[in-house]
Amino acid sequence: MEILTSLAIGLLFGIGIYQLLQRNVIRSALGMVIVSNAVNLFLLSIGAYNGVVASYAKVTGQRSDALPQALILTAIVISMGTFSVALALLRVLTARYSTNDSERISELKH
Amino acid sequence: MNSLAILPFIIPLTAAAIGVLLHKHWRVQAAWSLGALLTSSALTYYLLFTVYTTGQPIVFQMGGWAAPFGISIMGDVLGATMAAMVQTVMAFGMIYALGAKDSAVRYPSFLPLFLMLCAGLTGGMLTGDIFNLFVMVELIVITAIALTAMSDDRYGAEAAYKYLYICIVASITLLLSIGCLYIGYGTLNMADLASRIASNPEQPTLWLGIVFLFITFCIKSAVFPFHFWQPDFHTAAPTPVSAMLSSVVVKLGVYGFIRMTTLLFVQQAPIIQTLLIILGIAGVLYGGFGALGTHNAKRMFAYSTLAQVGFMLVGIGWGTSLSLAAAIVFIINHSLIKSALLMLAGYMASRAPVKSAAFEVVQGMGKYAPAAGVLFFFGGMALAGIPPMNGFISKLALFRSGISADQFVALALVGVPSLITLVYVMRAFMKIWWEPRHSEEKVKPSGDSLLAPAGLIALCLALGIFGEPLLQLATSAATWALAPAQYIQAVLPSGRVR
Repeated sequence: MEILTSLAIGLLFGIGIYQLLQRNVIRSALGMVIVSNAVNLFLLSIGAYNGVVASYAKVTGQRSDALPQALILTAIVISMGTFSVALALLRVLTARYSTNDSERISELKH
Repeated sequence: MNSLAILPFIIPLTAAAIGVLLHKHWRVQAAWSLGALLTSSALTYYLLFTVYTTGQPIVFQMGGWAAPFGISIMGDVLGATMAAMVQTVMAFGMIYALGAKDSAVRYPSFLPLFLMLCAGLTGGMLTGDIFNLFVMVELIVITAIALTAMSDDRYGAEAAYKYLYICIVASITLLLSIGCLYIGYGTLNMADLASRIASNPEQPTLWLGIVFLFITFCIKSAVFPFHFWQPDFHTAAPTPVSAMLSSVVVKLGVYGFIRMTTLLFVQQAPIIQTLLIILGIAGVLYGGFGALGTHNAKRMFAYSTLAQVGFMLVGIGWGTSLSLAAAIVFIINHSLIKSALLMLAGYMASRAPVKSAAFEVVQGMGKYAPAAGVLFFFGGMALAGIPPMNGFISKLALFRSGISADQFVALALVGVPSLITLVYVMRAFMKIWWEPRHSEEKVKPSGDSLLAPAGLIALCLALGIFGEPLLQLATSAATWALAPAQYIQAVLPSGRVR
């Protein structure tokens, strides 16, 4: 399970960073979401293998750490906020520059 | 009493939420926002006064949960000093915004976002929990993006877009760093983390965490190899916002470096400090020469921030109590100077026929704005470090601490380029106030209000002539920062120090 999780995290990071570096601004925005999900999965894996029983269950056994899940909840909310701001910004940008190519959204020189 | 530590953060945040509801009446919203910001500034000063006179930090445990489990808000001398600096500069920024001619400041969301930026910064300075720090950093990022994107400058959205992407990288590295530290030490509380790292520095993920945290703070304060977004972003923002971005927002990263070297990673600090000195020198050189080659007053000051942050990093890198105090003085003085100078550049832009601070536009406009010229002259002297301004005190304190730390190579490498400051400030002053005007276009009869920069420059002059209290405050903050055991003892309930 550890192997699968780490492979999934690595794969998500790879895909996300590849998409983040695309010239198409929509693709790079999607890459941003994928990378933040990869980070969330990484945070989940921090606490996943500490125990075997969920921390709220009424059975005996070594309890797993619930804190990373709380962290992920916060991180998900924040990344949703950032993503919505990013989409709003892209809406303005693509309308103003009439392109979705990030190479052409580059008039700031002086 | 303990809730005093959280009020400077909670008041602007609540006021921002209520301020959104007042969007129909701009005057009411403006009065409300300014009132809230002044109230929280007063409370921050009260917090600083209490902490400084009693010598004991004020710790607030959120929700009443004891320290390693709940979120601690830490009102210590260092944090409270930084928070007081933030609130002062933000209050002046708000006053400038209320008197500004930009249409952006009349938008219903501008003032609430400004308050939220203040809340995020204050919270970031006062927090004692690294995940809470992440939340505050995100609050700053999102508000700064929104504030820049609504700029009158048509490049505002593009600058905001660039900043968004670089900040996504920063928040990813910050989260990865938090994850790495949590795997190794199982805690998020900075005091608990510090004591656990000190007792067990062998965890394999520790260095990963340090590197990611270092990268995050580098991006936040635009340290040399991570600086490329900063001049664009700070130039395109509306003037009141760019004055804040270039003065107090970059200081969060610098403050983070102080916490990294003195609290969290004390045993690993020598390596971090060496890196800070190298990056600081690179920043001083790059920022100085970059500022020389610019054609826009606002952009010049954005480059100058790169150089000035370099001085602070060098001070933190030397790591003695004297140099740390000098770095803190430098941080505070630079915030006041740089916000005033950017406001003056923005004032000239607001008088110009086309709203721009480019030298070809504002050249020779000075004879229509003599008052701004006087203020700019004093501000420029402060930035270059000429007595009687406060910039002289900060540079003197920094160089003296370098001499007493026997760091002559680094001292020479930052001391000589610090003369470049004088060159580019004088160049801007001469271009605007001495050279004749080429263009025939009419200068606007009135621009933004000069009240805020005048107040800031007066504060700079006062701190230059009566610099002793600030030096004492900084010395006490540095002494406090260099004794992390006290910090840990103040936060953790049993006072256990391992």
